[in-house]
Amino acid sequence: MSGLPDQPMLVADDIHRHFEGMHAVDGVSIEVPEGQITGLIGPNGAGKSTVLAVLAGTLPASSGTIVFEGRDITRLAAYRRARLGLVRTFQLPSEFARLTVLENLLVAAPRNRGDSLFGALLGKRYWIDDELRLVDEARALLRRFGMSAKESDYAGLMSGGQKRLIEIMRALMLHPRCLLLDEPMSGVHPRVVEEIRYYLQSLRAEGLTILMVEHELRLVEQLCDSVFVMAQGKLIGSGTMASLRRQREIVDAYLVG
Amino acid sequence: MNTYYAANLLIYAGVDIIACLALNLQFGVSGIVNFSFIVFQAVGAYTAAVLSLPPDHTPGFDYQIYVGGYQLPFPIPWLGGAIAGGLLAVPVGLVVLRKLRSDYQAIALLVLSVITNQVITNARPFLNGAAGLASVPPPLSSQLDPNTERYQYLYIALTAVCVVLVFAVVNRIVNSPYGRSLRAMRERELAAAAIGKNPVALKMTVFIVGGVIAGLSGAILVGFIQLWAPSVWLYPETIILFAAVIVGGRGNNIGAILGALLVPVGFEEVTRVLNTNNLNFGPPGLLSALQWVAIGLLIIGFLWFRPEGVRPEPRRVFAGSPDTVEVELVRPA
Repeated sequence: MSGLPDQPMLVADDIHRHFEGMHAVDGVSIEVPEGQITGLIGPNGAGKSTVLAVLAGTLPASSGTIVFEGRDITRLAAYRRARLGLVRTFQLPSEFARLTVLENLLVAAPRNRGDSLFGALLGKRYWIDDELRLVDEARALLRRFGMSAKESDYAGLMSGGQKRLIEIMRALMLHPRCLLLDEPMSGVHPRVVEEIRYYLQSLRAEGLTILMVEHELRLVEQLCDSVFVMAQGKLIGSGTMASLRRQREIVDAYLVG
Repeated sequence: MNTYYAANLLIYAGVDIIACLALNLQFGVSGIVNFSFIVFQAVGAYTAAVLSLPPDHTPGFDYQIYVGGYQLPFPIPWLGGAIAGGLLAVPVGLVVLRKLRSDYQAIALLVLSVITNQVITNARPFLNGAAGLASVPPPLSSQLDPNTERYQYLYIALTAVCVVLVFAVVNRIVNSPYGRSLRAMRERELAAAAIGKNPVALKMTVFIVGGVIAGLSGAILVGFIQLWAPSVWLYPETIILFAAVIVGGRGNNIGAILGALLVPVGFEEVTRVLNTNNLNFGPPGLLSALQWVAIGLLIIGFLWFRPEGVRPEPRRVFAGSPDTVEVELVRPA
């Protein structure tokens, strides 16, 4: 189910989000083209994470429309957007602490016959084939992200950087069409930042569409094909990082905040 | 120790084990703090009672008033009790589990438990009010004499069958991919929604399944003790079951069984032994009051020193994991 070929994969049109009179997001329109990494930057409190949450359905939009692959998803619950392939990660670590690393990946996998009350009651024989297939798939991801040795450890015991990787791998288990990443590098050791950058670039090379909120402009410059800039709940510019740097008012807004 | 006493002990143990397995599924595995758990047991008991009692104008039963009175044969009252527990879970779950944050859910359910008890106590025409229902016919009492030893053994066997059945059901749920989704929801609900889990559907399902099992436990109990009144399902009864699940080990079915044997059964036994051996001290009722103090201390002590319980939730290790030789996931023969 793909949108028209010349349409961006994800289109948000004039979205608003109010919190008891506070306009966290005030009429933002953004487009995320297929197969690219799009950045969303801005000073603290600009409303970037709120935009991401509204796109993912974590928060409902107060008004505006969101179209994903040609389908209006404005009213869809978060879990249904995830099932369509629009999958988010969180700014704060959000691993399932008392599940192992491998289980954190397995739990996200769709199409497991044992993942319903009915399937569970039918017993292991009914779902074991799905489970074994998904274990293989999850282990392949763990190898790719260099975390095989940790598969049986509780995710809650991992470092901040490892939790980021777990969350990205967990999202990938859904075979997403579009990833929404909320500051995937924040609070992470510089060496791991480089790792995550490498992984994101390789995912892009495989054709995955990504929208990421990020603070670190150097990373945004390296990773993002195009960038949207927000300040105080509004969009104040868009384009490539190079073109944005030439716009005086945007640099001011970002630096002054 | 006579047969009747042994039967009494075993059947209470069976009922408590079934209840703790259900509560472990809701609280230990899925994180739903169901402070109205005992209401679901009570609705199962009342339903089983009015399904097996004759109409309340029947001579010998006309000292009480109640709805129903259908005189249905076993096992219909037990099945009815289980179904009633599940049915009650639907409206309660829809009101409490959809919008409220989990701590408010716990408060709402606690309040529900208190209100329900008050209503049943004071609305006498419904289920005979505070006096409750008595002379509830035990299962198969038209064919067999309930006062024989053989009947006691039969009742123990029936209870045991239910324990095994419930254990099999909750084990299959907990150890399946579905159980993993429930644990993920318990750990972090927003993140679970972000990977495509529907938290409301998961919670409702667990609430209903737990309600069915709780209802069954009530039906078993009322058939044996033959009476049921608001005083046996006051809200602190739920706290005892929570203590059992916490002591046994949240998320572990074997732990729930151990907890049921240690807390509700164990405490009843200790107080009984102390009472019957004239080791009583202080004013009458002191021991049973101290029992509540002990249960409070037990919960606090375990949460402080051993929050994972006697039998902690198992860490799931899959066959072929690089850092271990444990094998859990093998194709059944």
